[in-house]
Parts: sequence; structure tokens; C-alpha cells
Amino acid sequence: MMPLIQVNNLSKEYKLPGYLFNRKTFSALFPLSFEIQAYKTLAIVGESGSGKTTLAKLLVGAESPTTGNIKLNGEELQTGNFKQRCQYIRMIYQDSSTTLNPSLTIQQLLDEPLKLNTALDENERSTLISETLRQVGLLTDHMNFYPHMLSGGQKQRISLARAIILKPQVIILDEALASLDPSLRSQMINLLLDIQHQMGLAFVLISHNIGIVKHFSDDIMVLDKGKVIEAGKTSDVLAKPTQRYTKKLIMSQQFQQFSK
Amino acid sequence: MNILDIRNLSIVLVSGNKRILAVDRVSLSMKEGELRGLVGESGSGKSLLAQAIMGVLDEKWIVDADRFHWRGTDLMRLSVAERKKVISKDVAIIFQEPMSCLDPTTTIGAQLEEAVDDEQLTGYFWQKKKQRKEAAIKLLHKVGIQKHTFCLKSYPHQLTEALCQRVMIAMALARRPMLLIADEPTASMESTNQSQIFRLLASLNQLKNMSLLLISHDLENMTHWTNRITVMYSGQFVEAGTTKQIFSTPFHPYTRALVDSSPYANSKLEPKSYLSALPGSIPILQHLPIGCRLGPRCPRAQQACVDAPKAKNHHGHLVSCHFSLKETY
Repeated sequence: MMPLIQVNNLSKEYKLPGYLFNRKTFSALFPLSFEIQAYKTLAIVGESGSGKTTLAKLLVGAESPTTGNIKLNGEELQTGNFKQRCQYIRMIYQDSSTTLNPSLTIQQLLDEPLKLNTALDENERSTLISETLRQVGLLTDHMNFYPHMLSGGQKQRISLARAIILKPQVIILDEALASLDPSLRSQMINLLLDIQHQMGLAFVLISHNIGIVKHFSDDIMVLDKGKVIEAGKTSDVLAKPTQRYTKKLIMSQQFQQFSK
Repeated sequence: MNILDIRNLSIVLVSGNKRILAVDRVSLSMKEGELRGLVGESGSGKSLLAQAIMGVLDEKWIVDADRFHWRGTDLMRLSVAERKKVISKDVAIIFQEPMSCLDPTTTIGAQLEEAVDDEQLTGYFWQKKKQRKEAAIKLLHKVGIQKHTFCLKSYPHQLTEALCQRVMIAMALARRPMLLIADEPTASMESTNQSQIFRLLASLNQLKNMSLLLISHDLENMTHWTNRITVMYSGQFVEAGTTKQIFSTPFHPYTRALVDSSPYANSKLEPKSYLSALPGSIPILQHLPIGCRLGPRCPRAQQACVDAPKAKNHHGHLVSCHFSLKETY
């Protein structure tokens, strides 16, 4: 089976300030390759500054890679071609309350990606929006609400609706579950699993929480200072970590087990 | 002896002519040297409770309690000034996001020296400056910062988040408090740094016999560190007991849901299977349900739940629910 997304030798270097003979570069991400199948989730864990967010930015096309390429369904994604990329790769951010424009209603918010990426007319767009809202567990009435009228969990659902409205194939969750309260978080996880099952999405999950990673992901990639130090099946890596950093990460989230 | 004994504390927000009951009859008692966790989701009033203990709520909030004792003295009877004196001597608090709590325009050294109490310094006034500095260095050593000269000279933005939190703890320790309230000390921190801070707090609790009230929204993080846990929901008391009781035999449906929703607690759970979750979301302050506030989301709710339940004590395991899960175990 052909992988949905294929990344070859992707790397990113940033230029540091300096003159002709004193030019330096900073490697945020050393060359790495991986692939994700449809219906699968890849988890990326690592400390801050390990290149997790850089990788997410490269995947979503916000930054251009220094080397390497990304292939979606065997077709290479060009940097700068947002028409192609916005359709298929979408992103959800950590803090949903700051990523939604407070001066637009939910309908206007969800209308924007449709206006930019599709040729649908107004009625079709409106039906699609209400369908998507129902898919993420909200009501059609929520179309006329402003973001501040919704609770944190509902706002995160709007972010998800904005991500899936274009029927993408890959969704990048950049700490999307971190700021939610525990009872809302499990609702959101259930919703994400549901949508993955329905639409055959691939997720890239960037997270700190080992518990969620363990439950939610199929494969895992541990980054440290821009390098992949460990990768493989989540259950294997978490059961037998070989690297010191991975062990430390798992140990730091020890959970007291009580016999039930 | 209980150092802190709070019975039926209510906090009312007065806005315009409306009165909103933000915290509804919560009880909390702490023994000397105890490490207690206070768990609740956002809007559950746990930070308000901490602020009420410190006495820093302004006149918009009305605090009322049947009993509010600090080491035998009734705080409700004291005047504001007297109360401040008692509390600031024995209780200290640290907040989340230490970077934003420290003064960005002053060095860490100056801020730490300011926190050192005059009474601790012996000697004449010309010796005091030196003593103050030594006290600051000693405080930094206590919280595990070895490079004190570097730390004292730097500004908050030059240090990492975890170091800043250590500095905050050092400031809190300056008056040798009997009770330290840590209000989400590790929110928005890396998990490796989180465990460092928790380990430091736990060791202070062990070595100095300092009581610790650890406030967090995440039940998962707490289990490893606390002896006893109090759970709150939407301003109401839910359940209190030892960590083991809360985890292996939760009596309240809400605690049950919290434990079940954590992928960590159920290691037997199949990966990618559905987690159990309560329907709906946390009610906002303007639209609180009557009676038990979990009512609309609760799987066991019945007609009786429109009256708020009273806390019942089962061998030190307090639960406030009409239909507790006690019989099911």
C-alpha cells in the first residue's frame, strides 16, 4: 500500500546574522525521512527547541525546507503552492481562543477557507458549514455565534471543523490537546478518532503527554536537538526505550499504579 | 492537629445587583506536614479558594465560612490587618507562569533580598546588607540552584521557566512558611521540568515538615506526589480522601469519569479505543445549574440531585453525592 505522505531527507537551516566571512547557520532540523499511511497517527515528542514545531511548519508549508521534499500520494508538494497544500494538509494549534478571529462569526470563519480554495456558491458553502459543524458535535445554530460565546472545548471543535472542512488527508495537531481540561480532552480524543475512522485521515500529533501519545498514536518519533533519536511503533518504543532522553521522558510522567 | 480547618466556605461574587455563588460550601482541612492535592477543572474555584485562604480577594468577593481556623485562631473574627499579619507569617503561595510573576525590570538578587524578612537578620544596620545577601544565596541553595552568583545577577527573562519557578519557591521560603500553596506550579512547562519542580516541592515537604497544598487541573500528575486529594467541580466540593481511595475506589461519578478518562490510569485500555467521557461541558458562572452542579452531565443523576447533597464521611473518605458509587465496589 502506498503511503499517504512521504518525507525524504527533509531539513531546515536558519541563517544567523553575520557578514561575508562570518556567516553561520543554525540547523533546526537535520535531514529526516518518514512516511505515514492513511488511518494512522504519527506522534512527535521532544523538548522545546527540538524541532517539533519546525517540522510541523515545514509539513504545512509555512516554511520552505533547506533540503528534501514532501510527497503526498506520490505527488511532490511544491513550496509556495498553497492552493495545493491548504487543501490536503491542515493544522490545529494549541490555543484555540487566540487562533480564531474574534471579530468574525463562526460562519464567516469557516467560510474563509471555502472561499479561497473551492468554487462552491453561497448556498453550497452554507450547507457544507452546517454539515461540518454537526460532524464535530455542534449545532447549525452555532454558525451565528462569535468565538467568545463558546467555551474552550467548543472553540477547539471549531478549529477542528475549520481543519476538516476542506476534506484534507493530513491534519497536524500542534499540542492541540494540551490546554483542554481532562474531561473535555477525552471527548476531543474520541471525536478525533471518530473522524479519522470516517475520513481516513492521517494525523501528526505533537504532544508532551505520554499517556495521550500511547493511546492515540501508531508510530512515534522522538526528536532531540533537531535529530531523530528514536523512531518506531509506539508500543515498542515506549515499552523498551533505548535512548536516555526517551527514558527520562517516560520516567518524568510516572503514574502511580494502584491495584484495582 | 489540623493547621488549616475550613468548613463550608462560600465565596460570592457581587456584580451589579446579581450575586453569583462561585464557591459553594467547600470544606478543606490540612494536617501538619501533609501534602494535599486540590484538583478541579478550569472554573472549579480552586484558585479562588487559594486566594481566599491568603485573604487577597478584593471587596467584589464576599467570603463566608462556618469555620475558618488557622492553627486554632479563627480568621473570620480577625480584622484585615491582623489577619494579614498571621497569614503572611505562616503561609506562602506560588503561582503559575513564574516568568510573568517576577518583576522583569529588577534582578533576581534584588527581588530575593526584598523577600528576606528583617527579623531574621541579627546585627547592626551596617552588617544587614551583607547578611541579606547571604540569606538570599542560602535560599537559592535550598531550592537547588548551585550557580548563585549568575542567578542573582540575571533578570527573569535570562533564566529558564523552571529556574524562575525555583526562584519563586525560594522567595516563598524566605519567611519559613508552615504552609505553601502551589497554584498550578508547572502549568505550561516541559514534562521533564515539571517533575523537577514536583520533586523539589516533595523534598521540601519531607525535610522541612512544611505542609503543601498542590493545586492542579490534572489528576494524572498529582497521583505520584500527594498523600491526599480533594476534588472540586464548578465551585462545589466533590470528594476527598487518600490518593489511593480516590484512584482505586472513587465514590463520586465525576471522579470516576476523571480517572476513567485518563489513558494512563487504564493501562489495559486498547490503543485507539474510545475513552469514556462525560457529555457536555463545564457550566459557566452565569448559568450554573441548581443543586448538584454536575447534574446535567452526570450519568447517575436522578430527581433528588436538584438539591445539593451534603458531604458524607465514610472512614475518612468524604463524598458529596446522593447516589455515590460506594455500593458498587
